[in-house]
Amino acid sequence: MTVRISALALLLGTLLGAAVCLLRTRKNPILRGIASVYIAVLRGTPVLMLLLLLYYGVFARSGLAPVTVAVITFALNVSAHVAELLRAALRASDRGQAEAARTLGFSAWDAFRLVTLPQVLHIARPVYQSTIVNLIQWTSVVGYVTITDLTRVINNTASRTMQPLLTIIIGMLIYLALSYIVFGLFALSDRRRQRKRGAAA
Amino acid sequence: MSLIEVRGLKKSFGSLDVLRGVDLTAEQGERIAIIGSSGCGKSVFLRSLCMLEKPDAGKVFIDGQEITAKGAGVDRIRRSIGMVFQKFNLFSEMNVIDNLCLAPTHILKMPRKEAEERAMKLLGQVGLAGRAKDWPTVLSGGEQQRIAICRCLMMEPKLLLFDEPTSALDPTMVGEVLAVIRMLAKQDMGMLIVTHEMNFAREVADRVLFLADGVIYEQGTPAEIFDAPKREKTVDFIRKIKYFNYEIRGRRFDLMRMQGGIQTFGEKYGLDPQHISRLQLCCEETVYVLLENCYPGRDDVEVDLSVSHAEQNQTTQIDIICGGAPCNPFEQEKYSINVKILKSLSARLDYRRTNDRNEITIQL
Repeated sequence: MTVRISALALLLGTLLGAAVCLLRTRKNPILRGIASVYIAVLRGTPVLMLLLLLYYGVFARSGLAPVTVAVITFALNVSAHVAELLRAALRASDRGQAEAARTLGFSAWDAFRLVTLPQVLHIARPVYQSTIVNLIQWTSVVGYVTITDLTRVINNTASRTMQPLLTIIIGMLIYLALSYIVFGLFALSDRRRQRKRGAAA
Repeated sequence: MSLIEVRGLKKSFGSLDVLRGVDLTAEQGERIAIIGSSGCGKSVFLRSLCMLEKPDAGKVFIDGQEITAKGAGVDRIRRSIGMVFQKFNLFSEMNVIDNLCLAPTHILKMPRKEAEERAMKLLGQVGLAGRAKDWPTVLSGGEQQRIAICRCLMMEPKLLLFDEPTSALDPTMVGEVLAVIRMLAKQDMGMLIVTHEMNFAREVADRVLFLADGVIYEQGTPAEIFDAPKREKTVDFIRKIKYFNYEIRGRRFDLMRMQGGIQTFGEKYGLDPQHISRLQLCCEETVYVLLENCYPGRDDVEVDLSVSHAEQNQTTQIDIICGGAPCNPFEQEKYSINVKILKSLSARLDYRRTNDRNEITIQL
C-alpha cells in the first residue's frame, strides 16, 4: 500500500508539478500569482493537515475511497515541490545554449525540448531523488484515514506481539530498504550515463 | 542585392540608449570587424541582427528578407546566418557529433548519415576529427569554440556573426580559434566580427566599423581606421590601443597601477616577461630621478608618461614629459647607479628641454 500510494502520487504529482511550473514561469502576473500561492500553501503546511482536510472536509461526502484521497493529497503535495524544483533547474540551465539553438533556426519550443529540457532534467535529478524518498516517508501518516499502510501494519503487529522494539526496528528497516531501492535505481542510471559519456573520453 | 541591410536600428535598455540609429549595408562575402570600447553596444548590435535582442525601432534585412517584420519567419530567416558566441554555448547534454548534427537533421531533415559525413569533414578541417565522440565538458575552450564554429557551418550559412569569439579564451588558445576564422575568411565566407583583437581585425577585415555614441561613429578600411582615424573619439580609442599613458600628479602616485598598466600593455603586444620587467624598471628609475630633481620637496608634480611599441622593428619607446626645474636625468652624479641601470637596459636615451619642460625619450 505504501509503495502503491507513493508511486501513483509521484506520477500524478510530477505531471501536475510540471504544469504548475509552467504557470509559475509565465509572464502573466495573475497566472504566476495563482501558482505562487498554490506552491506556498502546499509547501508551507503539513501534509497530514491536507490529508485530514481532504478526507474529513472536501471529500467527506463524496464516497471516494480513502486510498484515492491519499493519492490526491500526496500528488498535490509533491506537485508543489516538483514545481519549485523544476523552476530552480530551469533558472540554473544555460540560456546561452538555448540562444545558440535559436540562431541555428530552431523554434522556441524545439530549442526548449531538445536543448533546455535535457539540462533541466540533469540538474533536477538529485533533488528529485530525495523528493521521492521523502514522499515514501510522508505516506506513513495515511493510517489517520483508515488506510492500512506499512506504518499501520507495523503498529498493529507491535501491539499484537507485545514486541514494539523489534517490530518497529523491522519497520524502519523496511522503509530504509525502500529508500535504498530508490537511491539504487538512480545510482544505476547515473552509472549508465557516465558510461555513455566516459566511453569516448 | 546586399546580404545584410540595417536601417535606423535602435535599442535601449530602460533609460540607457544603446543603439541610436545604426545603418549598415554589407555585401555577400564581405568581412567586417566591429570595434569600440566596452559597453558601446557592439554585442547588442550583433544580437539585434539575428533578433536575439528585439530592436525598438529600425529594420534589418537578411538576404532581402526583413527579419524585423511582424510575422516574418524569424526561425527560417535565421538559418542563413550563424552566430558564434563568446561562451561557445555548445549543447552540454550531448557529444560533439550530436551537437553538430542536431540542427541539420531536425531542421533541414538531412539524413543522419549525410549529416555525420559533413560533420566529420568539418571537424577534420578544424583539426578535431578525433573529438567527435567527446562531450563538451572534457574539451578546452579553444576546442569548444572551434566546434561551435563547425556547428554553425553545418547549416551552410551565408553570413557568420562572431560575438567576441576569443574573449573567454585562455591566451594560449586564442591563436587556434583565430586560425579557423582566417581559414573561413580565405573561403570568402561573409562575416561580422566583434573583437578586441585589433591586429586580427586589421588582417582579416575588409572594413572596420568603430561604434560609439550608439552609432557607427567612423568606418573605413583597416588602414584608414587604425593608421589615420579622422574623428575625435576614434583617434582617442586607437591611441589608447597603441599607447599606454599614465599621468603622475603627486609624489605619492600609484606606482603599482602604473606598473600593472605597463604589464598589460606589454602582454598585449606579446613582449616577453624579461622585456616587460626592463620596461617597468626604466620607467620607475627615470620617474624617481625626475621627481627628486625637478620637484625637490614639492608635491605639485606634473609628469606624463607614455609607452608605445613599434611592431615593424620590435622597439619599445618610453616618452616622459616632466615640468619643474630643468634636469637631465641621465647626467646626475648623485644618481649614478640609477643612470647606470638605465644605460645598460636601453638602446637609446635622449633628453631635450623645450617649452620649459623636460622631454625624455628612452628606447629599448
